[in-house]
Amino acid sequence: MKRYGEHRFPGRLFVVEGIDGSGKSTQLMLLHQWLKSEGYGVVFSEWNSSLVVKDTTKRGKKRKLLTPQSFCLIHATDFADRMERNIIPLLKAGAIVLCDRYIYTAFARDTARGLDPAYVRELYAFAVKPTGAFYFRVPLEVSISRLHAARSGFKFYEAGLDMGLSEDPSESFRLFQGRIIEEYEKMVPEFGLTVIDATLPIEAQQEQMRQLAISKLERAKQLRVAP
Amino acid sequence: MKERKKETYGVVLPGMELSGLVGKLIVIEGTDGVGRSTQIALLKEWLEQKGHAVLDTGLSRSGLVGKGIKRAKEGHTLGRITLTLFYATDFADRLEHEIVPALRAGFVVLTDRYIYSLIARAIVRGLDPEWVRKVYAFGLKPDAVFYLRIGVDDLIPRVVFSRGFDYWESGMDVYSTEDMYEGFRRYQTSLLEQFDRLAEEYSFKVVDATPEPKKIFEKLRAGITKILEGEPARPALEVTSGGTSPPVAPSTPAGEPEERAASAAIGASPAQGENLKA
Repeated sequence: MKRYGEHRFPGRLFVVEGIDGSGKSTQLMLLHQWLKSEGYGVVFSEWNSSLVVKDTTKRGKKRKLLTPQSFCLIHATDFADRMERNIIPLLKAGAIVLCDRYIYTAFARDTARGLDPAYVRELYAFAVKPTGAFYFRVPLEVSISRLHAARSGFKFYEAGLDMGLSEDPSESFRLFQGRIIEEYEKMVPEFGLTVIDATLPIEAQQEQMRQLAISKLERAKQLRVAP
Repeated sequence: MKERKKETYGVVLPGMELSGLVGKLIVIEGTDGVGRSTQIALLKEWLEQKGHAVLDTGLSRSGLVGKGIKRAKEGHTLGRITLTLFYATDFADRLEHEIVPALRAGFVVLTDRYIYSLIARAIVRGLDPEWVRKVYAFGLKPDAVFYLRIGVDDLIPRVVFSRGFDYWESGMDVYSTEDMYEGFRRYQTSLLEQFDRLAEEYSFKVVDATPEPKKIFEKLRAGITKILEGEPARPALEVTSGGTSPPVAPSTPAGEPEERAASAAIGASPAQGENLKA
């Protein structure tokens, strides 16, 4: 079993991280479009999307069966399935794989739920180290106002309502996401995450992403598919 | 029952209070066809007659994951890391929602297999042994592990003449062979090696599973009696410690057929789990 950092594949892996409302998904979509237009073979992989595990996760969330530990493990299972059947084979084939959320999401959430940080990191030791990991840093108030504009209400686990931090969903969301930001900030130096100021104009953020991506693709011309 | 404070294998889950777990956690490990479920049925009846409340549980019986694992295994679609973590999720759910509440309520918890079977299977599938142990570091240390041991040559006729070879029990996901017999023998032999190591590392009480069920039951009964009386279990039950005897077959991967049979035979356990939660 290879561990984080030991993998050597011809493909490239870029991931985006940040709290909800940080704009990371928009930025990843824009990067995707650009890489495609440049002629690269690009594949997008989403958090929480393994078919094998999806029903169990849904069931657990709907019936509120999940404890911090089973929440952690069911997400690790989902991630392992994507890693083994999707991400690794694609990287072997030389694809550029884009992930909306990666192991750092799990580290932040599970640790914010009270699990031992060392335990959670060890659990994901099988993950491939990304070529580039972007962290979209945004003040909590900004992300909350973006979320309010976009949709109504918070989901149970997303707001950390399983933690009993507050009865009020929006207060609970604020407290829980605050903890998650603290965890992300700790991970910036630990994992060398590239910080993007998510309060900048969308175009400016995208420009930074593309520059970093180009620098990592220089020696990857062989990955290009027909334009 | 006297309380002996429970411990984990290194990681304590948030909100899990380890004091006040007055019940006893007793693990029955062993391969398919060795008679684990028969023994558990006998033990449950005996313990209840003695006045102990019993919860019996086993792999992939959790309310959260059980069905998901069965469905995924039918399609043979799980990678080895995924399978390991899926089982770990099942175990976490049962530990927090069934086992710990039952121990707190003073039950004797009889579990058909435990983290050791899961560790052995994962190692045979080539995963890093240290990583696998750490994944299960949140498991509670049982009061005793009884390992029903049988030689691979004694095991094969039992399996063949009862229900035939199973895909997962024959390690068909591990080896590139189409021969289930070959696969079964190789896979079970590798598992055995792992089990022998685990027996030593975790101090299993090894029980020879070749005699008739009644004899095995007597040994288990004697061993469990000592645990319930709070005495250190000594080899009055004629158990040998792990790692010596000839080829023996350890646990198997799937186990579902037998596990289903066990819950059917014994019944009522999920309901008990529910009651405890309420």
